[in-house]
Amino acid sequence: MDMNEIKEIFFQECEEQLAELESGLLKLNDGDRDPETVNAVFRAVHSIKGGAGAFGLDDLVSFAHVFETTLDCVRSNRLDPGPEVLKVMLKSADVLADLTNAARDGGSVDEARSRQLIKELEALANGEVPQASAVAEPVAKAAPVVAAPVVNDEGFQPVAFSFDDFETDEPALMEMPTYEIVFKPKSDLYAKGNDATLLLRDLSRLGEMSIHCDMDALPTLDRLSPETAYFSWKVSLKTDKGEDAIRTVFEFAEWDCDLDVSLVSGDAAPAGEELPMQPVPFDLSILDDEPVGPIGVIEEEEQLAAQQEIRNAAVAAAGTASNVLQMAQSAARAPAEKSAGAAASAAAQSAAAQQAAASAATPTIRVDLDRVDRLINLVGELVINQAMLSQSVIENDANGTSSINMGLEELQQLTREIQDSVMAIRAQPVKPVFQRMSRIVREIADMTGKSVRLITEGENTEVDKTVIDKLAEPLTHMIRNAVDHGLETPEKRLAAGKSAEGTVRLTAKHRSGRIVIELADDGAGINREKVRQKAIDNDLIAADANLSDEEIDNLIFHAGFSTADKISDISGRGVGMDVVKRSIQALGGRINISSKPGHGSVFTMSLPLTLAVLDGMVVTVANQTLVVPLTAIVETLQPEAAAIHSFGSNQRLISIRNSFCPLVDVGRILNFRASQADPVEGVALLVESEGGGQRALMVDAIQGQRQVVIKSLEANYTHVPGIAAATILGDGRVALILDVDTIVAASRGQSLKPEMSLAAAG
Amino acid sequence: MASKKTARKTLSLAPVLDLNEATTLHEKLLGLKGSDLTIDASAVERVGTLCVQVLMAGAKTWEEEHLSFTFSKVSDAFEKTTQLIGVDIDHLMAKEI
Repeated sequence: MDMNEIKEIFFQECEEQLAELESGLLKLNDGDRDPETVNAVFRAVHSIKGGAGAFGLDDLVSFAHVFETTLDCVRSNRLDPGPEVLKVMLKSADVLADLTNAARDGGSVDEARSRQLIKELEALANGEVPQASAVAEPVAKAAPVVAAPVVNDEGFQPVAFSFDDFETDEPALMEMPTYEIVFKPKSDLYAKGNDATLLLRDLSRLGEMSIHCDMDALPTLDRLSPETAYFSWKVSLKTDKGEDAIRTVFEFAEWDCDLDVSLVSGDAAPAGEELPMQPVPFDLSILDDEPVGPIGVIEEEEQLAAQQEIRNAAVAAAGTASNVLQMAQSAARAPAEKSAGAAASAAAQSAAAQQAAASAATPTIRVDLDRVDRLINLVGELVINQAMLSQSVIENDANGTSSINMGLEELQQLTREIQDSVMAIRAQPVKPVFQRMSRIVREIADMTGKSVRLITEGENTEVDKTVIDKLAEPLTHMIRNAVDHGLETPEKRLAAGKSAEGTVRLTAKHRSGRIVIELADDGAGINREKVRQKAIDNDLIAADANLSDEEIDNLIFHAGFSTADKISDISGRGVGMDVVKRSIQALGGRINISSKPGHGSVFTMSLPLTLAVLDGMVVTVANQTLVVPLTAIVETLQPEAAAIHSFGSNQRLISIRNSFCPLVDVGRILNFRASQADPVEGVALLVESEGGGQRALMVDAIQGQRQVVIKSLEANYTHVPGIAAATILGDGRVALILDVDTIVAASRGQSLKPEMSLAAAG
Repeated sequence: MASKKTARKTLSLAPVLDLNEATTLHEKLLGLKGSDLTIDASAVERVGTLCVQVLMAGAKTWEEEHLSFTFSKVSDAFEKTTQLIGVDIDHLMAKEI
């Protein structure tokens, strides 16, 4: 594995850590004071710093270090995470994410912003709470306080630490307990890039140390395997840092060595007289820097500690990296969390145990997306092949034996199951996208001077990865709009009798095989008069057009429509909701708006769970086979002559249960035939279009209902208006999948372009 | 005595003797077997446990074959590391001839 791969894994982990960081901070923001949450946040920053140190990403390290110091104050209850503090922290999390991205892809970071935040973070750590100054000026304080950051920074030991610190505070100055440590590394320790020298060096920092190296196992040169562990050590350490601190040193090597720590005496008497112990020199600073600097350069204590810490974490990062390779990352983490939980106080224990249980229950592996895609493609082919097989069996052997038919049926079920399972691999929770939104809300709230709270629900709703990837952009647009245009300024809100803080609610849920994402704000709602006026000004509608409220609301999805009085930096450049609508539609989704003046607006997006398969109704139109997405169809009916009414020159309506619904001749619109078909001869599919209105699509006949594998028409041919994609049927023929919304729009008079005649495409 | 002097070989250690170097060092030492050896550790900036193991195994082997295995010069980093991990190299330090 070369360095770049390790680095890539580091960045992947960074992403996870950043998500963890943000969700933790948001929990704190909501008033969660669970120590485990604080620890999770701390761990996230600490891991990023450690990994970044290993790769020499100095900007990232220095920022993370300051951030971590401040978080440590929160962790040790020296700084109360109030709203102001969290505001700074959330911003810092954003900057940390920027720095990580910059380190990964190059690019620049707003340095002024990060400098400013460093100052704010330092101020929080130093100024605001008097006790907090201890961290910044370790020299001025007594031993336990100096010890605190070292001990805490070294490892991810949660809560237990703060308690230990309290316990050891007093006795620490009076007596130094002596511990006897027996340390037997296994060969794995070295194989994972760890080195006993580093561990022993860190150990020596904890106090006064004597050591005996047991070399008895060492063979002669010709029988020696250079990468096997032969040495083992017995260490006598006089320290006031406690056993936990000692164990923390070995935290990342825990599984790769035999470790025994025991308290020998409460006094200074060193044990192990029977063995010749070699005192370890106090000044080991020369071992800190790779290049040997001029001797006598005395590093500042803090710097030293920081370096040591980075190195530790680097080892940790390497360790984790190899774990990833073993595809057991989270499984490996679970024991770590469990051991942490065991040491924690009762309350934290249950929380940690829960977390440990949760992560133990779902071991994960990291797989290249390409591989999954390949699998999905193959399964798609399998489904098609299975359909073809069934068909040819039926054709060749009309009275086929029951065993063949039963086998075929089983095969069909199996392929369906395989397909569902493979699709489930690609399914991901929408959480990462939602989390990104909270940052956008923060930034825009800052820019506009509004106070906004983002509430997210259903973050764990799963949807295909492709959908998630393509969801971020339209969602960002909409969130910007909601904050910029939707919510009022705090003054206006107060005047309207609302709280100064606006609320944006982002919800995801599954509904009848689709994912529905709702974005609701409690702002002023759509100003329909203004929208209407603007639409008239822009010649979108006639001055005397009679539009329902809903139709007016939907006008904002027209291209070039912006209702903001002023064009702001954030939104309103005219590339707004129409772009959103187009991207949602490109995903096979629909978007709707409903608005209540004074109470805000709700945008509802409904998206398919996957872009790879679709349940469709296979129909015949003018001898062409088409597939209509089942989700669009409300019902099917056989029109009777009495129910058909002519309207205008060539429009027809069908009367369904005392209401009239426009009849859309699909064959005519797609130019499959020149003249209108007789509705009585065919079947009408009642479909719901995105505007909420219903249309009756007229087709010649229904062949059946089946799941089809979507093949992109754009990728294989070119975009065809009115057609969403294509598929391959059981008989090997290509069938086009109808884009219902475009067909409906075309029936309203926005005709498909004439050159897009499809007669030849079937 | 003169014959012994010509047989004495010197091995200068690389600046970085980390985990990856252990195998190389092991091979180098195996290739030098059978003659007195002087090790120059003056350039060493960093040394890991595995390399110390190899060196100590070398010392043991040389001792069994009644040949001399000495460190002529050691860098501060080398000395500190060996002290840190409790490996005594005092008796291996070069005395006058």
